[in-house]
Amino acid sequence: MMRFASLGQAALVALVVVYLLAVYLLPSQVWMGFTINALAMSIVALSWNITGGFGGMASFGHAAMYGTGAYASAVLQVQFGVNAWVAFAAGIAAGALMGAFIGALAFRYGVKGSYFALVTLAFAEVLRICASAFEITGAGRGLQLTLQPGVATLQFNNDRVLTYTLLLGIVALVMALTAWLKYSRFGAYLVAVRENEDAARALGIDTYRVKVTAMAISGAFGGLAGAVYLQLWLFIDSSVVYGVSISVTALIGPIIGGAGTVWGPLVGTLGLHLLGEGAKTALHGAPGLNFVLYALVLIAALRFLPQGLMGLAARIGVLGRKGGDDA
Amino acid sequence: MTHHINRRGLLKASGAMALLSGLASPAILRAQTPAIKVGVLEPLTGNLAYNGNQCAAGARFAAEAINAAGGIKSMGGAPIELVIVDAESRPEVAAAAVDTLAEAGVCAFTGASASALGLASSQAAAKYDLAQVFSVGTAEAIVERGLPNVFRFTPGVTKITAVALENLGLLNEAAGKPVKTAAIVHEDGPFGSQLAGIVETELPKLGIEIVEKIAHPTPHRDFNNIALRVKASKADILIPTNYINEYTLMTRALQQQRVELMAIYSILGGAASNIKFVRENNDIAQYVIDCNHWYDPNKEASKALAASAAGAGIDMTYDVMVAYATIQVIADALERSGSADRKAMIEALAASDYDGSIMPYGPTKFVNGDNVNSRPVNLQVRGDKIEVIFPKEYATIEPVFPRPAQG
Repeated sequence: MMRFASLGQAALVALVVVYLLAVYLLPSQVWMGFTINALAMSIVALSWNITGGFGGMASFGHAAMYGTGAYASAVLQVQFGVNAWVAFAAGIAAGALMGAFIGALAFRYGVKGSYFALVTLAFAEVLRICASAFEITGAGRGLQLTLQPGVATLQFNNDRVLTYTLLLGIVALVMALTAWLKYSRFGAYLVAVRENEDAARALGIDTYRVKVTAMAISGAFGGLAGAVYLQLWLFIDSSVVYGVSISVTALIGPIIGGAGTVWGPLVGTLGLHLLGEGAKTALHGAPGLNFVLYALVLIAALRFLPQGLMGLAARIGVLGRKGGDDA
Repeated sequence: MTHHINRRGLLKASGAMALLSGLASPAILRAQTPAIKVGVLEPLTGNLAYNGNQCAAGARFAAEAINAAGGIKSMGGAPIELVIVDAESRPEVAAAAVDTLAEAGVCAFTGASASALGLASSQAAAKYDLAQVFSVGTAEAIVERGLPNVFRFTPGVTKITAVALENLGLLNEAAGKPVKTAAIVHEDGPFGSQLAGIVETELPKLGIEIVEKIAHPTPHRDFNNIALRVKASKADILIPTNYINEYTLMTRALQQQRVELMAIYSILGGAASNIKFVRENNDIAQYVIDCNHWYDPNKEASKALAASAAGAGIDMTYDVMVAYATIQVIADALERSGSADRKAMIEALAASDYDGSIMPYGPTKFVNGDNVNSRPVNLQVRGDKIEVIFPKEYATIEPVFPRPAQG
């Protein structure tokens, strides 16, 4: 069951929910367009949150899982003519496998902290180069799905509202799984590993297994995000899905919103997109200045909100000593 | 009777005039024909910002020229008003920016400098029945999706490569076939990889063997190893395909490593047809040949554009030219349809036979969204100028091939 630590958190979550529902009613398609982008990116942020937020294993290379999901789905559809639904599922599985593989390799040799972050960054970069070199992945040209809107092809590009609704459903599902994981025994193991790995091991927790499993779950979410991107825009290339910007997007959302919380990644990603859009509108005619404003707010948030927006909200209207926890 | 003008009186009079002009101006505005909005979707920020901003400048010059010439005459002299949006060099942002254009009420738009951006934006625009006239979009996938709102005015990668290789064959033939081997250096993105793949298949048919093929990412800074590999391959010519910064650094490294080549023959080379490269690296740039988008420099509109760009301190690059031309194409469609209705614009563009653009093309003819009469141009750097060497009817100078020995 979801519990809120404070009225502030409840209000922040309510605000997000109201906004997401209001998008249906807003006459402007601009809002729906950019919220679709924000929701698609929030999936990879939720993916990072599993390892970086709950497990304390900060990655700088979540694009590795994201890109693998996108490429697995694209290669199966374009090169082998596999059904889009099957390819979509295979993209999720490929992301999970890639996460497990990176985790198994890194944790086997005790890589942790900033070294782990660099290892993941290196994996993403190696995969980017491989994807731009091999013929099966389009060899740098990228892969383009044939435009065939329909349920069988998992392409709903002609129906904006349906696309938005499906994305909302996917994000809600990933958040529900995150919440379940948080309150499960496995979630407790993961937090124990984050807080003190040696102590967790001393208590009998198989920390290696827990960390690799977390990477696999995170990878599955990352692969899902990549497969969603492919179905939305029908084109991928190595720099688009394995690029550093994806890895940065994956970690900034949870850090701003609140790492290790269920709602933090969505709140952060949505908030940053809203900020970016607002800055773009306010500074219309001066392209690029919006990024400067964006960066300034980001620096301020990192300096003054170490627990992110959810952490700030948690300090407003605290619900007694046993009120709840960070949602 | 004498009148003294003191400060208070002057202020009162000024205030009254300001009030009157304020009241009067809406009446004047109402009498004017409302402007027709045309979209410009380009990457104004991100790694394609240079190209995007150049395109935006070209579109502005075109709108200014059209408006100065009386606007769209079939619509009562309505002026063109550009709505410029930033694609941030990312496909999903390009697609979302289409919403902004649609809501701003544009009748059509031009863009988007890179195929990946154009693929996403045209797909998003299809939902609004909004025509996209591609400034640059070389990937063939753009015109293979059957989207009725896609109009690629400039040539695609297949045509550009075919023309480039045909002209290379002509140059080699005329020089007595001195070129036997070639090295390819290309960026590893969709643009460079696709082009390099076609060259690799087609070049041996001209009797030129490919002895080295090197891919590099964008951005890439140290080209010394690549230059040394080209040198070791003993290739007669180098065929590069990359963006402006990499192209500049590559040619500098080639000079530093004293790589002897009969020619640098670029296809859509990032800097070989860029006057900034010629100005800043004049000795390296000499005799470099490029096959690229380019205007017909002899047309009056081209000369006027060159003068406008020089006046604004903007380098005349192909981006400026193609964006200018696409706005001309959209203006012609408006002129013929007499309406800014989106569906009417798609119909007018599909039926376009416009031949008044600054590009060296025949009458526009879109077949499945591809202008079959578009064609690239071969250019050669000579002195401080970029001269046209092919096609012959637009040539401004005779080609020099192979280039004189360096030294």
